Amino acid sequence: MYTAKPLPEVNLPPLRVVGKPLRRVDALGKTTGALVYAGDFSMPNMLHAKVFRSTQASARIRRLDVSRARALEGVVCVLTADDLPDAKLVTDMPGQTGQKQRKGSDAPVLAADRVRFAGEPIALVAAETLEQAERALELIEVEYEPLPGVFDPLEAMKPGAPVVYEPDNIVARWKIRKGDVEAGFAVADEIVENTFRVPFVDHAYLEPEAGVAWVDGRGVINIRVCTQVVEHFRSIARAVGVPHNKIHVQGTMLGGGFGGKEDITVEIFLALLAKHTRRPVKLVYTREESIQAHSKRHPFIITHRTGVKRNGRITAAEITMVSDAGAYPYLSPYVLLYATIASTGPYRVDNLKVDSVSVATNNPFTSAFRGFGAAQAAVAYEQQMDEIAKRLGLDRLEVRRVNYLKTGDRNTTGQVIRSAAWLEETATRVLEALGEKSEPPNEHVRIGQGFASYWQSYGRITWFHDTSRAWVGLELDGSAVIRCGVPDLGAGQVNSLCQITAEVLGVPLEEITIYSTDSALTPLAGTSTATRQLYMSGNAVYMAASNVRRVLLDRASKYFEEEPENLDLADGKVFVKSDPENALPLAELAGMCAADGLPLSNLALFRAPFTAKLDPENLRGDVFPDFTFGAHGVEVAVDTETGEVTLLKSVACHDVGRAINRAAVVGQIQGGSAQGIGYALMEEVQVKEGIIQTPSLSEYLIPTALDLPITQAFVLESGTGMGPFGAKGIGEPSLTPAAPAVANAVADALGVRIHSLPLTPEKVLAAVRGASEPESGEN
Amino acid sequence: MLPEFDLLQPRSLPEALEMLSAQRGGALPLAGGTNLVVDLRSGRRRPSLLVDISHLDELCAIRREGDRLVVGGGATIAQILDEPLIAEYAPSVREAARVFANPLVRNRATVGGNLVDGSPAANMPPPLLVLDAEVELSSRDGRRTMPLDDFLRGVRQTARRPDELLTAVRWAIPAPGSATAFYKVGLRKSDAIAVVAVAVLVEQDAAGVCRKARIALGSVAPRVIRAREAESALEGYPLTEERVAEAARLAAAATSPISDIRASAAYRRQVSESLVRRLLLAAREQG
Ligand SMILES: Cc1cc2nc3c(=O)[nH]c(=O)nc-3n(C[C@H](O)[C@H](O)[C@H](O)COP(=O)(O)OP(=O)(O)OC[C@H]3O[C@@H](n4cnc5c(N)ncnc54)[C@H](O)[C@@H]3O)c2cc1C
Repeated sequence: MYTAKPLPEVNLPPLRVVGKPLRRVDALGKTTGALVYAGDFSMPNMLHAKVFRSTQASARIRRLDVSRARALEGVVCVLTADDLPDAKLVTDMPGQTGQKQRKGSDAPVLAADRVRFAGEPIALVAAETLEQAERALELIEVEYEPLPGVFDPLEAMKPGAPVVYEPDNIVARWKIRKGDVEAGFAVADEIVENTFRVPFVDHAYLEPEAGVAWVDGRGVINIRVCTQVVEHFRSIARAVGVPHNKIHVQGTMLGGGFGGKEDITVEIFLALLAKHTRRPVKLVYTREESIQAHSKRHPFIITHRTGVKRNGRITAAEITMVSDAGAYPYLSPYVLLYATIASTGPYRVDNLKVDSVSVATNNPFTSAFRGFGAAQAAVAYEQQMDEIAKRLGLDRLEVRRVNYLKTGDRNTTGQVIRSAAWLEETATRVLEALGEKSEPPNEHVRIGQGFASYWQSYGRITWFHDTSRAWVGLELDGSAVIRCGVPDLGAGQVNSLCQITAEVLGVPLEEITIYSTDSALTPLAGTSTATRQLYMSGNAVYMAASNVRRVLLDRASKYFEEEPENLDLADGKVFVKSDPENALPLAELAGMCAADGLPLSNLALFRAPFTAKLDPENLRGDVFPDFTFGAHGVEVAVDTETGEVTLLKSVACHDVGRAINRAAVVGQIQGGSAQGIGYALMEEVQVKEGIIQTPSLSEYLIPTALDLPITQAFVLESGTGMGPFGAKGIGEPSLTPAAPAVANAVADALGVRIHSLPLTPEKVLAAVRGASEPESGEN
Repeated sequence: MLPEFDLLQPRSLPEALEMLSAQRGGALPLAGGTNLVVDLRSGRRRPSLLVDISHLDELCAIRREGDRLVVGGGATIAQILDEPLIAEYAPSVREAARVFANPLVRNRATVGGNLVDGSPAANMPPPLLVLDAEVELSSRDGRRTMPLDDFLRGVRQTARRPDELLTAVRWAIPAPGSATAFYKVGLRKSDAIAVVAVAVLVEQDAAGVCRKARIALGSVAPRVIRAREAESALEGYPLTEERVAEAARLAAAATSPISDIRASAAYRRQVSESLVRRLLLAAREQG
């Protein structure tokens, strides 16, 4: 039995609004249906679009004939690569950083003479009705000449393998060389080596990709779309061939993103069709098209070779990682970078060699997915820690405890951990809550418990020189307005900004209105990715609101004849701290400021730390602003006759720095757990010779309510994060430890380990029977 | 996208049968639509006319007639789940309904649609086969009944003629000393297609000798099958561990599973054997 390690003393300033599980500002519109999602929006005179896609994974397009489609009644426009001579889809560096884009990161918007994956877009159709657009697709004739394809990253690296695009199939490589690995292995008592595999996974958000575009009276192409990145307007402008300021992205509230809406999806297609037809155009993917068209989580093959002392202390580690980048690079180099840096787990490894490579294949392309490579890394490093414990006969917590990173330690790239690293604190809480193993209900069932610790960065790679902007203003009636480009994925991004503003300005949450997610009308806040929005835009809003607060308190200090530090703002009033009855409504204060010509609004820019790009041959230096730490634990029941795994308990504990809205934090933890548990037990986009075998949600399974126990969430607050009020990030981290915790629990139940996810009944049964693992799902 | 079709809504069963026969096979009955609408959307079926039978109350009753239970072809899976007669006399049928799809689908999906669809993975045939259930087929020209076992033919093939409706399923309440069991392995706990499903029935006399045995397996052959050799190996003998194990082996040998994205043939065969053994032993204890 374990007992929770006492927490170090923290003295967080008391807050009035921040931290409370208040009803989110977006809740009512969503529950009443008043909120208009991307796919629900229509305009008069609107056309309906469809995309014609390749059925081949690797082929030359010998002939493409769209004449019958063009002639069909109701069809207004059919576009092929011939109509778009230079249209390229930039797949690198979404966002605002202005850094140079990688060479070779472009994909054609529409394939011209060659297709590299099944699902690659070839032609666009716009018609008066959706039925006509669908019928037009059936009339498009294409003749393919099959070309040899490559579907396995290991094969793709071999000499003579078909080259997906020039010069070779190596999309990215990163290396870490730290300390003296040979010397480290020489002093090891044991060397443990394992290879782990993870599959393609789909984001399976509730809301498939959708949008409407139209050209307005100024000639601006407006695109109302669900996206994680409104800053794509620049790449869209380039692809469409118009100046940046002629594309206006109006982002909508998302029904989930998880990284799948981080890359451009429907935007360029919509902009092109609107430009060509001068009519509003709508494009909504079906679930099947969504699965075919958007990125997948990278499959990885990860090998750990770890030297350890008898007490569990790691003396050296050699780690190799191979990821399948699919047919175009997209964010593969950066996903691989995250995986590389996270590869050791939250452990001090002084002698370290990491070699990672991302490889092009003719499989579906892969890109961002909640956890962004660090989640794949965790599946490997946490199973490896359990294998080390098993080999040494040590307790699973003990083996981790002697290696856990501490504040002040240097990580894989030599970056110093500056915030709290509550690894033991979180792990022991999870273990304590799991308690004793349940009794198996009968002799076919074995019970197992497992847990995983993790670390995950929040905020973007610091050599991207990330910034966010926000505008906060007080109205004359005492209400407040926020303008910030932040996209809300459904995770509560805009609500957090409102709660922060409510705290700083003393304006009740219900009296705050936020305008967000607009590339032209709201200050650019950067991507809702990389667990960065609370950190980046939270700080920007905090700065802007604090600047307004200063003006208000200065003016109030004249009125009350009190120093500003003796005054405070709350509940729509300014008041004297020592005599709260002595108060003035904010509306009156705002009126006084306006009469004096004082600024009641402020536009602030927040900068993350800026660092230089690291040497890919040996990553050394700072790469991330900071890290979140935590743990997840589960108990499983494994049926040894059918291989079915049932989750009995799920417990998570994360140090979130500071919870801005506690209910939203718990929601993130429970949602992330569900996604991680699905990753462990059932989710796999099966791909055979480049063709997806799980084309709909009837074949691609995600967990249902009956597959998931309620995850008990412990929310710890060290107050040491770099976000507002000491917040860290929890969006991605909440997923990361769940899958390895499940894998460790299943291995605990069985006494043997299955080295590839998902842990299907078939693999579990094979493991029970000691047969070799079925090699399904590896390519 | 749904293709175009005409939809007729008959007010009574005779009217529905009239409509079906007038069309000479061009029409399809529409019950819950949980298979049919999916098929229409995917283009797998393109009927020009649908006859909506989902609102015909005379098709929905579940009742007891003497020593028999009668379930109307239009009874929904949700009804099965809520019906006290089923809970009391056909717990395995109830269990198959409990692990059927999800609450939304169960509210629409019908027993008739489940049997007529002819899927080898359907939930309801295994527990109904072990009860020796019969189906009643009606057309304008009359009625016929046949054993469910004869009705199921192959993958999505049944003995139904195009102008017939499946109007009822009937079976005799098992004799005292009988017990049934059902289990479905899916890849998740709800809304999962069966990878293997097994139902059993055993009737034991006072001496513990097995008088009657029935074993049915789903998702392991082109249709839901009975394992007759395995049944014969049990009848007339006490249900010892060895005999049960032998029956389980025979049952697994009767399967002809395929490998697909959900599982391999080898897995399906292994699990068939384990489940038949497990369920027979469980039924033995209840009997
Ligand atoms: C999300 C989802 C989950 C599912 N899960 C399961 C599951 O777990 N287990 C399972 O077994 N099935 C499952 N199904 C399949 C389906 O729900 C069942 O087969 C259901 O019982 C079909 O009944 P229905 O009333 O909807 O039939 P319909 O779709 O209306 O009809 C199916 C076929 O039967 C014909 N038909 C219907 N009623 C009659 C009648 N009385 N006489 C003659 N012909 C008739 C129709 O013409 C059609 O050909 C699932 C389906 C969905 C969409």
